[in-house]
Amino acid sequence: NIDPESLLPKLPSPDELRPFPTTCAVIFRGQEGRVRSVSIDPSGIFVASGGDDGFVRIWELLTGRQLWNVKLSDEDAVDTVKWRPGKESAVLAAAAGESVFLIVPFTILSPDIEQNSRDLLDAGWGYAASKPSNTTNIAITKEPPAKWSRPGVRLESKGVLVQATVRSTIKVINWHRKGDYFATVSPRGQSSAVAIHTLSKHLTQLPFRKLKGLAQSAQFHPSKSIFFVATRNSIRSYDLAKQELVKILQPGAKWISSIDVHPGGDNLIVGTYDKRLLWHDLDLSTKPYKTLRYHQEAIRAVRYHPGGLPLFADASDDGSLQIFHGKVVGDLMENATIVPLKVLKGHKVKSRLGVMDVDWHPREPWCVSAGADGTCRLWN
Amino acid sequence: RTPRTMESTAPESKVQVRLSTRHADIELPEDPGPLLVSTALNRYNLSKLVNNLLHTDTHPIPFEFLVNGQFLRTTIDDFLTKHGISAETTLNVEYTRALIPPLHVSSFEHDDWVSAVDILSQSSPGGIWAKGVQSGQERILSASYDGLLRVWNMSGDAIATSTAPNNGGRITSLKAAKWISDQKIVAAGLDNVVRVYKYDEDERTITPSLDLYSHRWGVNDIAVHGPSNRILSASSDNTIALFSSTAKENPAAPSNLLPTSTIASNKRQRLSKPDKTVPSRGPLSTLSGHASPVSSILFKPEDATVAYSASHDHMLKTWDLPTSTCVDTRTTGHSLLSLAALPKLNLLATGTSARHITLIDPRASATQIAVMTLRGHTNAVVSLDSHPGSEYGLVSGSHDGTARIWDVRSLKASSGLGDGQVGEDVYTIQRDSGPGRSSGEGVKVFGVRWEQEVGIVSAGEDKRVQVNRQIGA
Ligand SMILES: [Mg+2]
Repeated sequence: NIDPESLLPKLPSPDELRPFPTTCAVIFRGQEGRVRSVSIDPSGIFVASGGDDGFVRIWELLTGRQLWNVKLSDEDAVDTVKWRPGKESAVLAAAAGESVFLIVPFTILSPDIEQNSRDLLDAGWGYAASKPSNTTNIAITKEPPAKWSRPGVRLESKGVLVQATVRSTIKVINWHRKGDYFATVSPRGQSSAVAIHTLSKHLTQLPFRKLKGLAQSAQFHPSKSIFFVATRNSIRSYDLAKQELVKILQPGAKWISSIDVHPGGDNLIVGTYDKRLLWHDLDLSTKPYKTLRYHQEAIRAVRYHPGGLPLFADASDDGSLQIFHGKVVGDLMENATIVPLKVLKGHKVKSRLGVMDVDWHPREPWCVSAGADGTCRLWN
Repeated sequence: RTPRTMESTAPESKVQVRLSTRHADIELPEDPGPLLVSTALNRYNLSKLVNNLLHTDTHPIPFEFLVNGQFLRTTIDDFLTKHGISAETTLNVEYTRALIPPLHVSSFEHDDWVSAVDILSQSSPGGIWAKGVQSGQERILSASYDGLLRVWNMSGDAIATSTAPNNGGRITSLKAAKWISDQKIVAAGLDNVVRVYKYDEDERTITPSLDLYSHRWGVNDIAVHGPSNRILSASSDNTIALFSSTAKENPAAPSNLLPTSTIASNKRQRLSKPDKTVPSRGPLSTLSGHASPVSSILFKPEDATVAYSASHDHMLKTWDLPTSTCVDTRTTGHSLLSLAALPKLNLLATGTSARHITLIDPRASATQIAVMTLRGHTNAVVSLDSHPGSEYGLVSGSHDGTARIWDVRSLKASSGLGDGQVGEDVYTIQRDSGPGRSSGEGVKVFGVRWEQEVGIVSAGEDKRVQVNRQIGA
């Protein structure tokens, strides 16, 4: 008599899966109101945050010291912040209202890093100037998808050097790995909801004129010219080179809040407002490989570790983050191993909102969370 | 009759002990030979016995006792039982001055977070190199996130405050500062520049005299060596730079790093109207090999042609400075945030993001990576210094808001965690501003230094420099 349970592979215990974040090491205070977004810079030295007070702030990661800030807007919250990839420059993208701002926080940069960063942002002015002017071309009657401009003396004196304004409020920014493209998502934007921007040309394109459903998130594939777009219920992947639809994933979610593509490119996690975390193996079916229900409230953010550690995290309105082991094997015969490791508690729930965002350190098993309680926290 | 008194009437178990010490000033006047003592004695009883033999009964010195290299923390009887030692053997018992609780002496308040401290005294490195520091003229140097250096006397008077550097409008927050002599200070921080300052006690001034450029990201730590005028700096750009504190010995500064090198920063530099220009120079050499920010740097205490570095990349490296080569790399499991040497034990202590201190033997012959782990802190260990009078002692500063004193002979009962033996702290120093906490909020300790004349000086997020001293030590 064989117990069928004994034939199932044993999941490793959390103790065998160290290191992973277990404790709150730093609390970042100084933001007024909810913190909506956090992003750790490519070197792992700084963390940027944005929130309801309209400020973007940069902090020293290990000490919690606020090093730099700027107020982008009096009316709008800063909904998302994202460092551009690459260590030879330091460009931070932040969205407030309908605008993306590209920032070179020069007070914390050496002159050469500042210059590299300025050169990246300045290249596009030349490109824009060399184009035939839109205003004299009668054929173009349509409004361009985005207006690229200088944000004005006050912001420019702080290092906010470029502003790109689209037609409705931007909630998501994601960079392409090479740092010349970034995608923005404006969920209420209908045909202009998903935009792809070219930094070197100050150019904005709308690749999806007819998007089925309301866009929630969009992300570039980590190595191929594939682009993922999440609407409320499904995720579509497109081949940008061939300009064709590749796959439609059906997580079975009522309302997707966020997605993240595994650094290997073959797996994807989905967080939903209906409290579920779903793991899709792109080699398997269009249905989720695993459904994880650990939270009492909505999941707002999901994130894979970007630097080779088999970890992922989610952030929930119940005030906690859940850390998981997620090991992907480069073998078609073997599926991912997923083990829940730790619930990180500390953020207070305010007006039914808990943890709004999470980001990983580029190398270490550390993550930073953004809270509706006005704090960011480093967990290690 | 109660069983208690019956027990006390039972024949007393005895053991022969031979007392010795390594410290000449507390040696016994005459060798008493092996002594027959009760196995019921503990540290306190033995301490009374030694004070008796030393005729110091009126001003007793608290002693600690080591049996087979381990502190006696129980009765002799329990110790023998635990280690399976027969009471028939003669025990070699070494005695040493006990570490006394370090009492809070004073706190010096600042306007902003204090990131680093250094001590100038007769026996401090800067004082030894200067050969001119008088007893009672001890000075404390503090470096702050406000970008300023301050020199304090022991009464807590700020004798001098530096002028702010002119760096083209960039952040000036300091992260490291050291006395290289009684008149020269080296400091560095988030604006990536290593600065030499002239300290004039009579004029009460700290004036920048040399700007050293090599780093593209912030400087986390510096080391100085007075006799050779050498400075080492550890940076978040993953490199270490070697400079001379004498301007003319260094090559020209790399032009792309100067605040005047770009249109934008040059414009800001001119707007801020520098009152005086300071010479700018570049590094004698740079040491590359770390893959992440370098947190700490040290000259080998007995040989300044060798340096040790610790990095967020988990590695501890040994560098040969004349050839600018890495001669040894030890890889650990965690980001390394601080470093101190225990030269007589041939060990380096390194503090980690994972809340412990690892002791590493950096010699090429050593095979074990971690000799010992010191556990007790509840947040990152970001600063370390060695005991000025004991080759076994250390002080650590942590983001948990405490400084802790360690004696590497003080072991935890059992651990079974690997990494060799596990040590525990002897004393915990809380902040005068409030108790420690694992999140470190408001109380993180950023820097610690320990010298004989001054005691333990620590600095942190509470905007204070705090002095603790072992009164009577
Ligand atoms: Mg697979």
